[in-house]
Amino acid sequence: MICGFCSKEIPDEVGLNSCGGCGSRCRKIHCPYCGYANPAPGKLLGRLLQPKKKKEES
Amino acid sequence: MHDEVTQPKIVLIGNPNVGKSVLFNVLTGSYTTVSNYPGTSVEVSRGRCRIADRTYEVLDTPGMYSLMPITEEERVARKILLDDRPHILLHVVDARNIERMLPMTLQLIEAGQPLILVVNILDEAERLGMKFDLPQLQKNLGIPVVGTVMKRRQGLDDLQRIISSYQGPPPPAEPYAADLEADIVRLAGFLTAEYPLGARATAILLMQRDQEVEELVQREEGDGFPLIAPVLHSIKFSRRADLNLQISLERKRHTRKMLDGALSQEVADQLPFSERLSRLAMNPITGVPLLLLVLYFGLYQFVGNFGAGILVDFLEGTLFEEYINPAAISFLNGLTDTYWLRELLAGEYGLWTLGVRYAIALILPIVGTFFLVFSILEDTGYFPRLAMLVDRVFKQIGLSGRAVIPMVLGFGCDTMATMVTRTLETKRERVIATILLALAIPCSAQLGVILGLLSVVPGSLMVWLLVMIGVFLLIGFLSAKVLPGDNPVFYMEIPPMRLPQLRNVLVKTLTRMQSYFLEILPLFLVASVILWAGKMSGLLDVVVEGMTPVVTALGLPPQASAAFIFGFFRRDFGAAGLYDLQTAGLLSPTQLTVAAVTLTLFVPCIAQLLMMKKERGLKTALAIFFFVSLLAFSTGWALNKFLLTTGILS
Ligand SMILES: [Zn+2]
Ligand SMILES: [Zn+2]
Repeated sequence: MICGFCSKEIPDEVGLNSCGGCGSRCRKIHCPYCGYANPAPGKLLGRLLQPKKKKEES
Repeated sequence: MHDEVTQPKIVLIGNPNVGKSVLFNVLTGSYTTVSNYPGTSVEVSRGRCRIADRTYEVLDTPGMYSLMPITEEERVARKILLDDRPHILLHVVDARNIERMLPMTLQLIEAGQPLILVVNILDEAERLGMKFDLPQLQKNLGIPVVGTVMKRRQGLDDLQRIISSYQGPPPPAEPYAADLEADIVRLAGFLTAEYPLGARATAILLMQRDQEVEELVQREEGDGFPLIAPVLHSIKFSRRADLNLQISLERKRHTRKMLDGALSQEVADQLPFSERLSRLAMNPITGVPLLLLVLYFGLYQFVGNFGAGILVDFLEGTLFEEYINPAAISFLNGLTDTYWLRELLAGEYGLWTLGVRYAIALILPIVGTFFLVFSILEDTGYFPRLAMLVDRVFKQIGLSGRAVIPMVLGFGCDTMATMVTRTLETKRERVIATILLALAIPCSAQLGVILGLLSVVPGSLMVWLLVMIGVFLLIGFLSAKVLPGDNPVFYMEIPPMRLPQLRNVLVKTLTRMQSYFLEILPLFLVASVILWAGKMSGLLDVVVEGMTPVVTALGLPPQASAAFIFGFFRRDFGAAGLYDLQTAGLLSPTQLTVAAVTLTLFVPCIAQLLMMKKERGLKTALAIFFFVSLLAFSTGWALNKFLLTTGILS
């Protein structure tokens, strides 16, 4: 996914185990470049976020 | 001619999403394999291609943003550069964002890599009115440049021709500013071994505290390293405040020089709208009014009037009050005759009344509209510009800009931001940032609820905002004066602005709402059980009585004690309590404003307090807690006196 703050591509592996840093189960993906807490969509919402185009332009 | 055992390698490198994989597929055809890079979960594609009777091995590296790796992907990409010694390195860039990507090209030239620049997605850049003179760019850079539209194989022949006739490494890199250049040359002079990135780039990475490179140098130099260490240390120390900033600015300067005469915008001196908007947002003179506009329409009108006004009226006033509440309460009461159980389920502090009703009828519409606005702004790329704006305003009043980062992040989640303050370099910054976070930066959702609550009363919001800004600046200013230390510099790459995508915005909004409710609903339920237990045991009355003098001193009715007790659990819970008082007609505009200001300044939640203890130690955390509580209540007290004397809100 693309970070909402710095617009860099967050690799998938940083992934959905999410944060873990803040002590609460915040369900966020913290961007490795800037630290911004991106909302981590669940399975269903995640599928909506990632439309069909897969490896077309990466 | 036979294929040699080790074929020359072509390595593809570049940011994510610039069309590297397309280029890889076009070059190699179907003879490719994908495998994990040894010891990692990162996939690397390998293939073969034949150009002018010569066979090359082709490697597609994971996307990287600079030679200083942060993610595992980038580490692998750099490792390939270091270990595989490419015969030719293709740097693929997106023509539309060439200005942001050329700094890495310069880095690669600096590292003496056998570089060819591939300017891809040329068609869309031209559609945006960008005009390239690629031969000029090639002349400026001193390396081969080829323009392509890989999706349509446009430019492939040129690329293949350039690859087959490629001659040796790039020219020496341009020097940086004199003082910086002197340090680089001095350090590079100590490096005697042969480095894959060359002495110059290796020296720069050393100065930038690249751990892996330092280990490499330590290994390579062996007994010579003790000679280098003190020099490196003194350079690092004397440049600790702004090295990365200076290097970034120098590379930007070089980038502009390289693009001079090589890129022009169709309509002369007419920047694209997004770029103009971006500059307006970051310039203090225009940025502050723009921010106020965003706040007015986004927060006041949409979250306040629509979310907290119309939607809450409908949900709480009509739907719950008239239809759901009577049915639910009579159903719950029908379950049992026992007084304490009835109280627990649907009493004054019952699970239904405080837990479910607060969460769904009060908080949901406010938080939902707030997250919608937040996600739209996020998707346009406004936030980094806001950080830049705050940084510039801060600098003008003598505050360190770097503290901006955790603060901006604080809008996402306080607790996390307190932890991020760890990345601040001086102790002074860490303490200032922690105090400010505890004090004036509620997490975004809590902010939304408080703002929504205040929007109902015109004038309150403005007063609240002014007080917050005032306190914020005052504390930052005082602590900067009191606590000695350096002033490191804030710098960040500003990504392009873009039109928000409906899908992104919806998914982000829904995700935020979902995780918010998973977080607060249990908390609200637990809080109502505790409050119910307090009421049943009579303990609550004692606490409320104890707080009455404080609450009265703020000019608030005794019932407001309950809202402050709610606020101990979470600020948004407290704000919902205030909303109840307000709709019951128990709070005047002055009282509402005073209560909201006090509540906002108060330590936000238990989680935040615990995190402060973990990060700063018990003593500092308690000191900050008492300081913040004292300041919260005295500000509330002073504001009450001020509002009563001037009669502003009455
Ligand atoms: Zn980021
Ligand atoms: Zn977190």
